Amino acid sequence: MVAPPVGRADDQTQSHPTAPVSRPDRAARPGPLVSAAVAIVVAATLIPLGYVAWAAVSIGWTKAYHLVVRPRVGELLFNTVALVVITVPLCVVIGVGVAWLVERTDLAGRAFWRPLFVAPLAVPAFVNSYAWVGVIPSLHGLWAGVVVSTLSYFPFMYLPVAATLRRLDPAIEESARALGSNSAGVFFRVVLPQLRLAILGGGLLIGVHLLAEYGAFAMVRFDTFTVAIFQQFQVTFDGAAGSMLAGVLVLLCLALLVAEALARGRARFSRVGSGAPRAATPIRLGRNVITGQVALAALAVLALGVPVWTLLRWLWIGGADVWVFDDIVTALGQTIGLATVAAVLTTVLAFPVAWVAVRSSGLLARAVEGANYVTSSLPGIVTALALVTVTIHLAPPLYQSITLIVFAYVLLFMPRALVNVRAGLAQVPPSLEEASRSLGSSPAATFLRVTLRLTAPATAAGASLVFVAVATELTATLLLAPTGTSTLSMRFWSLSSELDYAAAAPYALVLVVLAVPVTLVLFRQSTKVAAL
Amino acid sequence: MTVATLEVNGIAKSFNGHTVLHDIDLSLQPGTTTAVVGASGCGKTTLLRLIAGFESPDAGTISIDGRQVASPQRAVAPHRRGVGYVAQDGALFPHLTVGQNIAYGLRGTARDEVRARVAELLETVALDPSYAARRPHELSGGQQQRVALARALARHPVLMLLDEPFSALDTGLRASTRKAVAGLLATAGVTTLLVTHDQEEALSIADQVAVMRDGRFTQVGTPQQVYRQPTDRFTAEFLGDCISLPCTVASGIAECALGRVPVQAADGPATLVLRPEQLVATVVSDSEHLDGVGTVIATEFLGHDVLLTIDPAGEAAPLIVRQHSFNPPPIDAKVRIEVVGAGIVLT
Amino acid sequence: MRRGWSRIAALVSVLAVVLGATACSGSEDKNELLIYNAQHESLTKEWIDAFTKETGIKVSYRQGGDTELGNQLIAEGEASPADVFLTENSPAMAAVERAGLFADLNADTIGQVPAQYRPASGKWTGVAARTTVFVYNKAKLQPDQLPKSLLDLEQPKWKGRWGAPPAKADFQAIVAALLQLKGDAATAQWLAGMKANAAIYNDNIATLKAVNAGEVDGGVIYHYYWFRDQAKTKEMSGNTALYYFRNQDPGAFVSLSGGGVLKSSRKADKAQQFLKFITGKAGQEVLEKGDSFEYPVASGVPANPALAPLADLQAPALDPSTLDAQKVTDLMTKAGLL
Repeated sequence: MVAPPVGRADDQTQSHPTAPVSRPDRAARPGPLVSAAVAIVVAATLIPLGYVAWAAVSIGWTKAYHLVVRPRVGELLFNTVALVVITVPLCVVIGVGVAWLVERTDLAGRAFWRPLFVAPLAVPAFVNSYAWVGVIPSLHGLWAGVVVSTLSYFPFMYLPVAATLRRLDPAIEESARALGSNSAGVFFRVVLPQLRLAILGGGLLIGVHLLAEYGAFAMVRFDTFTVAIFQQFQVTFDGAAGSMLAGVLVLLCLALLVAEALARGRARFSRVGSGAPRAATPIRLGRNVITGQVALAALAVLALGVPVWTLLRWLWIGGADVWVFDDIVTALGQTIGLATVAAVLTTVLAFPVAWVAVRSSGLLARAVEGANYVTSSLPGIVTALALVTVTIHLAPPLYQSITLIVFAYVLLFMPRALVNVRAGLAQVPPSLEEASRSLGSSPAATFLRVTLRLTAPATAAGASLVFVAVATELTATLLLAPTGTSTLSMRFWSLSSELDYAAAAPYALVLVVLAVPVTLVLFRQSTKVAAL
Repeated sequence: MTVATLEVNGIAKSFNGHTVLHDIDLSLQPGTTTAVVGASGCGKTTLLRLIAGFESPDAGTISIDGRQVASPQRAVAPHRRGVGYVAQDGALFPHLTVGQNIAYGLRGTARDEVRARVAELLETVALDPSYAARRPHELSGGQQQRVALARALARHPVLMLLDEPFSALDTGLRASTRKAVAGLLATAGVTTLLVTHDQEEALSIADQVAVMRDGRFTQVGTPQQVYRQPTDRFTAEFLGDCISLPCTVASGIAECALGRVPVQAADGPATLVLRPEQLVATVVSDSEHLDGVGTVIATEFLGHDVLLTIDPAGEAAPLIVRQHSFNPPPIDAKVRIEVVGAGIVLT
Repeated sequence: MRRGWSRIAALVSVLAVVLGATACSGSEDKNELLIYNAQHESLTKEWIDAFTKETGIKVSYRQGGDTELGNQLIAEGEASPADVFLTENSPAMAAVERAGLFADLNADTIGQVPAQYRPASGKWTGVAARTTVFVYNKAKLQPDQLPKSLLDLEQPKWKGRWGAPPAKADFQAIVAALLQLKGDAATAQWLAGMKANAAIYNDNIATLKAVNAGEVDGGVIYHYYWFRDQAKTKEMSGNTALYYFRNQDPGAFVSLSGGGVLKSSRKADKAQQFLKFITGKAGQEVLEKGDSFEYPVASGVPANPALAPLADLQAPALDPSTLDAQKVTDLMTKAGLL
């Protein structure tokens, strides 16, 4: 006769980290407003996809077959796939490494390093590849592509991982230590699994961007599949062939989505308990401080130093003459205007989609989320031409208006906002929302008073990423913005294609500098997550 | 007859084809505390969530204060039910201070009134009013729980629902907090329903205990009833230690290895179920007759109690007897076991 | 909560203001001429300023690349808001012409441009020109080692020693010229030689940079990139010099920048005026006096003094409309270059 358990022999924990939901899935049905918003977003993403499908159909099977099945295309496809397969793990290593150093150790100057490593996202791709070819003229091929991509895109990994590291409950790691794991063991067996969602989200974002990347490899002689797409536009001047080829990218993107979904498994979100965890004690690096600082400095030099050095060199050659303030200020104003509006709108629209993705279960939720990523894997010219075709025939007054270009930005950059808003929503345990409802707040009031406030830091991060993306965007702006629009990105491109690098440099520099306060806002907000 | 604060009739709920609750009936009288006790996963939290309104039932109805709030066809939204809900881990809003948390449900009230009410509630849950400015992560688990309680009480709910409220606390704190909370709920006169897997907790603070197993109530009654007169094996074993002995019943007396015990059962062979505290072990000198005498083979010191494992004469299995720890019989002592009180016969 | 709503209201009004402000900057005057400009922005700006000064007609333009704007015009079709299309190279003009989107140019505009610098169809005209050149690294090649003809580059001795950007439309124009002049077999053979010998670059700039760095001995590009770099930072051409093939060699191909009037234009007469202006003396003098380093083609205006005169270059005579871009693509694809 054994006495039934008197109760869990708990230690005095402030919050016990909850294991993945053991009770049956509580699928919430989204309300009418949310469903309507999601329907609009999904319909929007179908425009470029529909255009690609139409192009494929209009080309016909035989011609499509001949266009796709060529040795050169095989070579390009291999390049694209190899690029993704090699770059993403590299970005994982760098992003997680930097995040860990900056968040979990006692490295001096952490407050300085933190915002710095988001700035590489603001460097125009052309500047990056030009700078690298300047430093190592013989740099070409797959490894050149890997170097340029990794240094440009690792912030996509670094950001969510750093934010998650801050939120982790140190009690779990302390338990692991008490069970005999050394630091390495704790990291690989306890910390890394909890970072899984952040890593997968960042990896997906990087992969999707690499599929669509075109300008970054311009100077380093590395051709990816997008080159084949662009060539068709160059040669045939008829959107169908190029867009049909873009369908191959769509398939690759679907493969990426499936891979991420499989890796994510059933844990759709990571819960950290509704109580607030203590901040973790920083790990003492001791003698390894030097190694840590050197590593970070090297990364900063490679990712930022090389392109910024090129810009400064051009500016030095150009002297004071290149600073035409009227033009620069106008361009700056327009860039900020467009980027702000797009960032806000994209983030607002990301909410219903993220809500459905996080709170509902089932194939529909996954499909809704996935549709956004697929559009992002298409090169800008495909999406832009899709919108040109649809708008000019169906809604002529909208053509080349502000509404259209902002709409295009929302389509193109929804994933950046989505990944972050999704992570933020997942942080809000349903028990908090239930508590609010039991205290008399209607679902709408609960959303505003609890959910929105708790996801604010993640939302800010997403908005900042979209801001930087819009500021550096080129192709869609060229085709769809109202005539007379002149953003920093457009000015830089126009001047650099005339080889007037000295005159172009101020615009690039302003772009990079503009990104700094934006990333600081990003980090200030992300830091608030730790206070949760 | 007063209207029951909570009336649950024929509630059934399934998730993904798996039935969690079958035909649950429960009635709560105003001002009383009811405990639903059962093992983890038996469905008790689901019942609580149905009453709070976070899920809707597949069958049956729920009425609060005479007003029907849930049925398969329609359900009143949780924010309109006037029910206070305290989650297992407190669920305090991390972005608000303790004071703001407590005042969360007091929208539309004047500022000074709110402040006064918050101070009053903090006092009720035995926390210093200065805690109002602190943030949830600065409090210990027990303190967070109390703030959650105060927050739920702020709106004068007609019914309080507590989900395993004391399970996050360490044992020492658990008993005193339990007493305090029970006291304050009784003083406030709030009808309370709490779920727990701790049978001691249920028995000590509840006016009504409902034992749940696999989505059904095995027995509902007062603590004394369910403990002393369990209607089935599971209930008996869940609520405390049992000692089972084969016996023969004749005319209200069960004849077993320990002697004759009064029971209420039909004649014939049966299993006699006794509670450890019904057995008293007295040391005997070896010379007395060896009828009903056993040998102590192990003792377990629990502080104010001691558990004696006694090997009875014959092939019977060892018995566990619980008694006060003052001057316990040593190991290898010969003791006579007497049975106090009536026994239970269960099929 | 009241604070929350007011914050949202503030945000919405800021959004509305910003939206309105940026919208205003984009509104067009109904009387403004709209150019889809794929030519270099500074050159077109000079043309526009001079044109507006002379005629008082206001002009706005949309800057883009040949490929982007060409594709956009074809996608827009009859509903295009553009009045004039200016390009950097002829393939884009030919494509838009094939789509039937150009109006006939006025006779007096055509009269200003010599026949070899415009298509026979009269649907568009050359407005500026650039010549193919062989740029070489002075340390790596002496003048007597230079190839006599473009076709020499297919020979084994040039393996790994020259580079070019086959993916660019302007290089494909050179191959199209080669096709017209020497025929299918010779072109296929030359392309095979290119595949074996040449380093592939993404564009003219990358090629120039590579030659300058000594990665390859020489490269096939267009002249004005060299001249522009020489006039600015010299960072891509400091170690290089130019060689002109001459002798009506395919390597002396002169590529045209084109200008045309869209059929869908609602300001056709103003558009025609613009084309007439830029092919007139004042317009072409911008090329002579400016720093675009492209060749004037009309009204007898001489080239920038820094350049070798166009007549001296002995370019082969070709109708730009007849360059078969599709065939070139097929041949280059077969050779594995595309």
